Amino acid sequence: MADLKFVGRSVPRKDAVDKVTGTAEFIDDRFLGPLIYAKMKKSTVPHGKIKKLDISKAQAHPGVKAVMTGKDYPNKIGLYLVDRDFVAVDKVRFIGEPIAIVAATSERAALEAVELIDVEYEELPGVFDPREGMKTGSPLVHDDLEAYERVPIFYPVPGTNISNHFKLRKGDVEKGFAEADLVIERDYYVPQMQHVPIETHKAAAHWSPGGKLTVWSTAQSPNVVRQLLAKAFDLPLHNIRIISSYIGGGFGCKAGASLEGLVIPLAIKFPGYVVKIVFNREEDMQGTFMRQGLYSNLKTGVRKDGRITALEYKMVWDGGAYTEYGVNIVRAAGYSSTGAYDIPNVKTDSYCVYTNNSIGGPVRGFGMCEMQWGIERQIEVIAKELKMDPLEVRLLNGMKEGSTTASGQVVHHVAYDKCLKTVAEKVGWGKKEGKFRGKGIAGLVKCPAQPSNAASSAIIRINEDGSAHVMIGATEMGQGMLTAISQIAAEGLNIPLEKIDIKVPDTDFTPYEWQSVGSRVTYTCGTAVKRAAADALGQIYTVASNLLEVPKEDLSFDGKVVYSTKDKNIKATIREVADSCKKCSGEGIAGPIIGRGSFVPTNMTNLDPETGQGNPGLFYCFGATAVEVEVDPETGVITILQLASSIDAGKAVNPQLCHAQLRGGVIMGLSTALYEEVKFDQGVMLNRNFTDYKIAAIDNIPQLDSFIIETPEENGPYGARGIGEQPMIGVAPAIANAVCDALDIDVHTFPLTPERVWQAIKAKK
Amino acid sequence: MLSYDYVKCSDLKQVFDVLQIHDHAYLLAGGTDLLVGMRGGKFAPRLLVDIKGLEELKVLKENAAGITIGAAVTLNQVAAFEPIVKSAAPLAAGAHSVGSYPIRNRATLAGNLCNASPAADTAAPLYSLAAVINLLGPDKQRSMPIGEFFLGPGKTALQNGELVHSILIPKPYPAGKGVYLKASRTGSVDLATVGVAVQSWGGKVRIAVGAVAPTPVRALAVEKAVNEGGEKDWTKVAKLVHDDISPITDLRGSREYRYHIAEVLVRRGLELTMGV
Amino acid sequence: MTKKVIVNFTVNGDHETREAEVGQTLLRFIREELHLTGTKEGCEIGECGACTVLLEGKPVNSCLVLAVELEGKELVTIEGLSKNGELDKLQQAFIDKFAFQCGYCTPGMIMAAKALLDRNPNPTDQDINVALSGNLCRCGAYQEIREAIKASAIK
Repeated sequence: MADLKFVGRSVPRKDAVDKVTGTAEFIDDRFLGPLIYAKMKKSTVPHGKIKKLDISKAQAHPGVKAVMTGKDYPNKIGLYLVDRDFVAVDKVRFIGEPIAIVAATSERAALEAVELIDVEYEELPGVFDPREGMKTGSPLVHDDLEAYERVPIFYPVPGTNISNHFKLRKGDVEKGFAEADLVIERDYYVPQMQHVPIETHKAAAHWSPGGKLTVWSTAQSPNVVRQLLAKAFDLPLHNIRIISSYIGGGFGCKAGASLEGLVIPLAIKFPGYVVKIVFNREEDMQGTFMRQGLYSNLKTGVRKDGRITALEYKMVWDGGAYTEYGVNIVRAAGYSSTGAYDIPNVKTDSYCVYTNNSIGGPVRGFGMCEMQWGIERQIEVIAKELKMDPLEVRLLNGMKEGSTTASGQVVHHVAYDKCLKTVAEKVGWGKKEGKFRGKGIAGLVKCPAQPSNAASSAIIRINEDGSAHVMIGATEMGQGMLTAISQIAAEGLNIPLEKIDIKVPDTDFTPYEWQSVGSRVTYTCGTAVKRAAADALGQIYTVASNLLEVPKEDLSFDGKVVYSTKDKNIKATIREVADSCKKCSGEGIAGPIIGRGSFVPTNMTNLDPETGQGNPGLFYCFGATAVEVEVDPETGVITILQLASSIDAGKAVNPQLCHAQLRGGVIMGLSTALYEEVKFDQGVMLNRNFTDYKIAAIDNIPQLDSFIIETPEENGPYGARGIGEQPMIGVAPAIANAVCDALDIDVHTFPLTPERVWQAIKAKK
Repeated sequence: MLSYDYVKCSDLKQVFDVLQIHDHAYLLAGGTDLLVGMRGGKFAPRLLVDIKGLEELKVLKENAAGITIGAAVTLNQVAAFEPIVKSAAPLAAGAHSVGSYPIRNRATLAGNLCNASPAADTAAPLYSLAAVINLLGPDKQRSMPIGEFFLGPGKTALQNGELVHSILIPKPYPAGKGVYLKASRTGSVDLATVGVAVQSWGGKVRIAVGAVAPTPVRALAVEKAVNEGGEKDWTKVAKLVHDDISPITDLRGSREYRYHIAEVLVRRGLELTMGV
Repeated sequence: MTKKVIVNFTVNGDHETREAEVGQTLLRFIREELHLTGTKEGCEIGECGACTVLLEGKPVNSCLVLAVELEGKELVTIEGLSKNGELDKLQQAFIDKFAFQCGYCTPGMIMAAKALLDRNPNPTDQDINVALSGNLCRCGAYQEIREAIKASAIK
């Protein structure tokens, strides 16, 4: 791969000029036609029967077009478990759940009418702690769990609040513990967090009387939205069109389907109008997917030499009121439950539990931040007990070429040791720099969590002048997909980047992409695009061969001209080939060139229902984080002195973009490590805005050191694998390990707020 | 819900006339708390009275009486005003730590006080500087020490139809050092978990603490021990701050942590202003 | 009925006379009346900075200013930064340094940075941190943003 011309270069972003001039079009920047504004009436109790719902005053309010309630929505919705009501029917399950939707000709009229809706509840006992909620006899959040349709790789426990029990059994865990010299058992807790993209969730819908539904949405995954809406509203796929704009940050919360469905019955009722719904910040915090809380217990057996012999991992997840997507996070954490380590004997039970808290769902890391927090803290404790260097324990147990994961999948192209050593060296590992200073390290691994047949496709249209349109279904939410995919297309077509146009998706025109999630798009969509480029290039050669009367294998293309390698004077310009090519005599040879490519994994399998064994990973991406901190022992304030992060990208399609992604992930990780926690009191969310829910600002961020390691992924496009989520995973444990090193204290949870560190210091005294 | 009127006043007489006629009239200076409160339903004004344009309220000057800060003076102006930086350091630091730079371009010192949050970053500094609040009504003017202005969370001594005209940092200025130390969750744009202002002069101190009681409070027990008792053991005297505070637990910190941090910051404030 | 007030002001160099609803924020006025959609809404309470514009040359959160307060004032939005299709040096530096990801906070971030450079042509990291701490970037482009601002500083 020595001669790459476009892949591996830090070309400027495709969306750059749009984004620095304010012309980049986000959904709310579009003119969408005559508008009807939709606003939600939201539940004020966490769990209750709706005894009375009187919408008559709201309906009579000037400007109001209609008020919809749960019964106007024919079906439930759900990606993996169909458990979610768009609008509550008979019962509410969390505070902030929509119970009616008002549509009016102005935003103000809609807001006023919402206040006129009269609701009475019969409050039911709530479930706020999943550890209590999973017990038999707990109040049930969903009474009909066993009746819900689901993908058959999830295992609800009927009659309980457990919507998925993922089981994993590898080796013989009892034998493993018997072989151990030391067994350590500890509890950990990771609280809920919110993604808080600066752009909140928004959607708009239009119904044409001919039966066509158009939806504009901030969705990360237009094709999945289309699929879910088709099912929920009994519409054929070709009559639903989902249009994407630039997305102002996703991080998982805009995956699956979110608020789109709320406006569909209204759009159908008012053909020709566009019905729009915009979540304000508080609604976004409260009513969209958040990271599930995790209560976990880890029992690890280890030999004196530091080799881990057994792991028993129990995870209890706070799935919130609906777990349509969350069940798969629970599964992913389960099948990955050894983290970046090769452990021969494993027993894991991962439970998704309904509560009356806000809805859990996907977040950058998809369970890995939560699950590997326990792993990486536990290794630290093991090292301390054995008086070993925690880096050595990691290197000793870390995955290598040919290691097996918890699910028994063999991993390849692994340079985890290099990731660890790189960051360790950067922070001066092993040298204590001062009394209140400490260093910490943590490893990380993640594979995309996706169905084994999650597919991608691409179309490349070659224009008459040889320029190209690349059409794909992936979305641009900041990760740089448009740029990386363009580079892959340019490489495959051998035409300059400036001759490539690429756009965000419109499902009527762009081909299928499962979802832009899981750090998968560079690999999956990239592969489809690479194949489409090869297909288009093949057609270019076929046409040129016909035109020039030279065998295809003797042709070469330099980006402008197709020529015979035997005689460079026999040539045709790309214009001649691409523009409805004809012979000198005028006879046509070929019409426009359209390349196609698609991708579906062939290396993934379902997992055994009893043992969780199988191949769930499309690819595994490893990395490491190392930190040096100084802690104020009186106030508990942590200062990050150094932070180094490495990731094995396989091949960086655009190195500078990769570094930016890596640092962005680190910053989100740092923010969650130090500040972020959604606080609930009996289902009431206490911090619903940026005054109360703090995220890292520019002055919280030290100079970061990022390292891209390149161990090519055999089947990735040009060796690339995705890295979008991974950099976040190791940050919280690395910082915690450093803080514990600095003051010889112990922590089980984060964020490490000054107060929490102070409490840990006090606990030691 | 949002139906209200707006009037931009050009002199104080007009302001008082308008306030007298209208119920639910709110003064608009910086607007940074007002607009947030209106959006959240905390305030429901029928009339907004814009006083930003009044020259009299834009006064920021130093004279024989001291430093006068008019009600329309922004926090960025306060933080950068040379006499404040030189002679009223806790206020410069406190003003600088409110919100973000764009917020401070709009937010006023008077507004920060009128919002009457016990955590207001400018309040504890003004207590430590013995500032005086000048209030003006339609027919009378009155002045009071800042300690009498704050009555409780969201409550001030302002009467109906009255406004804060200006804030005075009186001369003689304390000849010593002054600091404002703030503990917060992020150390970035954030409300104070605890804020401590310490101003020394000669061998004496004045200390005020924010976010630990229904109003900012003076650490009188600490002051007494230092000023009257001649105590020099800062670790020991700092503990006396507990006598004057009654913090609560909220999103920003527990009662217990606030007791602890108030003590730490008072000690550090004493070290910085009185020497170790 | 909502009362409307006539306001005269300058936006990106052009004089304008418009009706503004009393109670409408400057942010909504810019987006819905002036149709300048580069200015973004993120929180409506002055905590995120996505709506930062220059009013009389100073950065303000347009969600915390009323449209009626525009009277007689000069407003500059992100659309006013590039002149005749030429990018401002700062915009080019944001491109060169990859100082944005999703781009949603970027207009506000650039306006806050522009104001900083106007008053301090050669800022330190610390100056940048103070000036931009009210502009949240959830994608985490902060390090690149500091680099972009320093790259367009006048040294």
